[in-house]
Amino acid sequence: MECRVLSIQSHVVRGYVGNKSATFPLQVLGFEVDSINSVQFSNHTGYAHWKGQVLTAEELNVLYEGIKLNQVNRYDYILTGYSRDSSFLETVVDIIQELKKANPSLVYVCDPVMGDHGAMYVPEYLLPVYRDKVVPLADILTPNQFEAELLTGRKITTEEDALEVMDLLHKLGPETVVLTSTDLPSKRGDQFLVALGSQNIVKADGTKTSQKICMDMPKVDAVFVGTGDLFAAMLLAWTHHHPKDLKAACEKTASVMHHVIRRTMTYANEMAGPGKRPSPAQLELRMVQSKADIENPAVVLEARVL
Amino acid sequence: MECRVLSIQSHVVRGYVGNKSASFPLQVLGFEVDSINSVQFSNHTGYSHWKGQVLTADELHVLYEGIKLNKVHQYDYVLTGYTRDTSFLEMVVDIIQELKRANPNLVYVCDPVLGDHGSMYVPQNLYPVYKNKVVPVADIITPNQFEAELLTGKNITTEKDAVEVMDLLHAMGPDTVVITSSDLPSRLGDRFLVSLGSQRKVRPDGSRTTQRVRMEVHKVDAVFVGTGDLFAAMLLAWTHHYPDDLKMACEKTFSVMHHVIQRTISYAHGEKTHQEVFRHVCFVNGFVDGSVCHKNTSASFITLNSPQTLMCLFNILYVYIIFLCSV
Repeated sequence: MECRVLSIQSHVVRGYVGNKSATFPLQVLGFEVDSINSVQFSNHTGYAHWKGQVLTAEELNVLYEGIKLNQVNRYDYILTGYSRDSSFLETVVDIIQELKKANPSLVYVCDPVMGDHGAMYVPEYLLPVYRDKVVPLADILTPNQFEAELLTGRKITTEEDALEVMDLLHKLGPETVVLTSTDLPSKRGDQFLVALGSQNIVKADGTKTSQKICMDMPKVDAVFVGTGDLFAAMLLAWTHHHPKDLKAACEKTASVMHHVIRRTMTYANEMAGPGKRPSPAQLELRMVQSKADIENPAVVLEARVL
Repeated sequence: MECRVLSIQSHVVRGYVGNKSASFPLQVLGFEVDSINSVQFSNHTGYSHWKGQVLTADELHVLYEGIKLNKVHQYDYVLTGYTRDTSFLEMVVDIIQELKRANPNLVYVCDPVLGDHGSMYVPQNLYPVYKNKVVPVADIITPNQFEAELLTGKNITTEKDAVEVMDLLHAMGPDTVVITSSDLPSRLGDRFLVSLGSQRKVRPDGSRTTQRVRMEVHKVDAVFVGTGDLFAAMLLAWTHHYPDDLKMACEKTFSVMHHVIQRTISYAHGEKTHQEVFRHVCFVNGFVDGSVCHKNTSASFITLNSPQTLMCLFNILYVYIIFLCSV
């Protein structure tokens, strides 16, 4: 498999977020990963302390220039995630547009990170950049409920709302949309959260339709950082292997998440000791230890086709 | 296995040198790798063009401070490679000294990248820093012949010279030394190069012994960049699994190199004619000046006109062991 991904995300010295979260699993699955580190921090910002440096839009451009001058600016996929800087994001958009000209089949996997649970955790002025410039270029989008609502200006209170919002997102650009988590009530009870997906497909007779799926995912009593980044990376991988079968792609992706999170929880609780809440350091994803699950995830979650 | 490595090396957006060369293989082998990127470049400096940014000594310190403030500065290994900046290197030394205080069992694997084939390709003022500050805190070093000669002030023309040089290096600090490539004549002919290793140990009864290893390694008609970085990383891994058996550790390490290089050459051949320089993955220690084309440190020439010959040669790897006990 000769598949090259350009991933533009954060780098942390220690732990698994951004490029640290995405690169190893993709490499394990045989993808060539070129990575531009948008920042270099000691660790993610959920720790008591964090220190480091950020890459400016200009510096990003310089790195891309190097790739271009060597005429190696051909990619099959681009992957982006958390960003705090609108000029950086706009430079990313310019780069993606150019890369799409170089390879029209390029697939841009975009996690439009803006916030969660009703609050933004990036500057507000990123929203119009995402909505008007980034999302229109995206082919695969992985918003959570809050981000999907922000991008479409519509609230989600029922499954029907969610389906309509995903259709609105299709109209903005991406052929594949996955609502990675919602507050919708799960048929399996309150220990589960609902995720949904929608993929535009062209039927054999030429008509356009979409495949919509729904997944009930077990909730976990812990705050993980980096799981969204891992999710987007694994969705890239599994939609690559199942380009017309969102159900299969999501089942594999969610299953990998499940295995990694389970392993991490067990380790974190062991490290913290009985009755104690694990620290951010202890909750770092057990990525390296999950290599086998990443390579060949046992499917433990089922997606329903709606 | 719960083993944490701090690797302070270059990052390239595309390709496999520095941290890009070291991290994935170590992670695949189950090591937790914390990586500080000393630079971020588009690609290595053997391409026609390269662009990017470097980390200053201060910025390195800031990153380390973050790790320290969170009290997560316990490492089992530190790994360093190519550097061009003396103040950066000195900051690395300070960090390692502190990490060794935090964990006295820490093993520092150091590739003292200075040059090859008789000339330096880093600034000259790095040499005293390596000699006086870096190598003394190293536990495992992977110099090539030129670097070993530079550090000890002694030339290597025979195997006996090489053994003496390795003993001089032991006296400077590291208990494990691997001379990754040399110009010594190989027993298998001029298509092979000689690598040597030496590991000092203390026996249970308190007496000291030294295991010496010699490898005859295939030469390759290609310029690879990043292989020295891969070598140091894999030597870290395999000495971890075989801490008292340098022979095994070297066999595994050199074998990994062989497989990766073989695959790379096959791929590169499939892509281009044999006259073109391979751009993908692997080999050779460090970089050279951005303006100068790549240097081939441990290859010389075999004909590539016959793919069968090439594959046949690559399937053979000979290892000779010389045991010398010194008290």
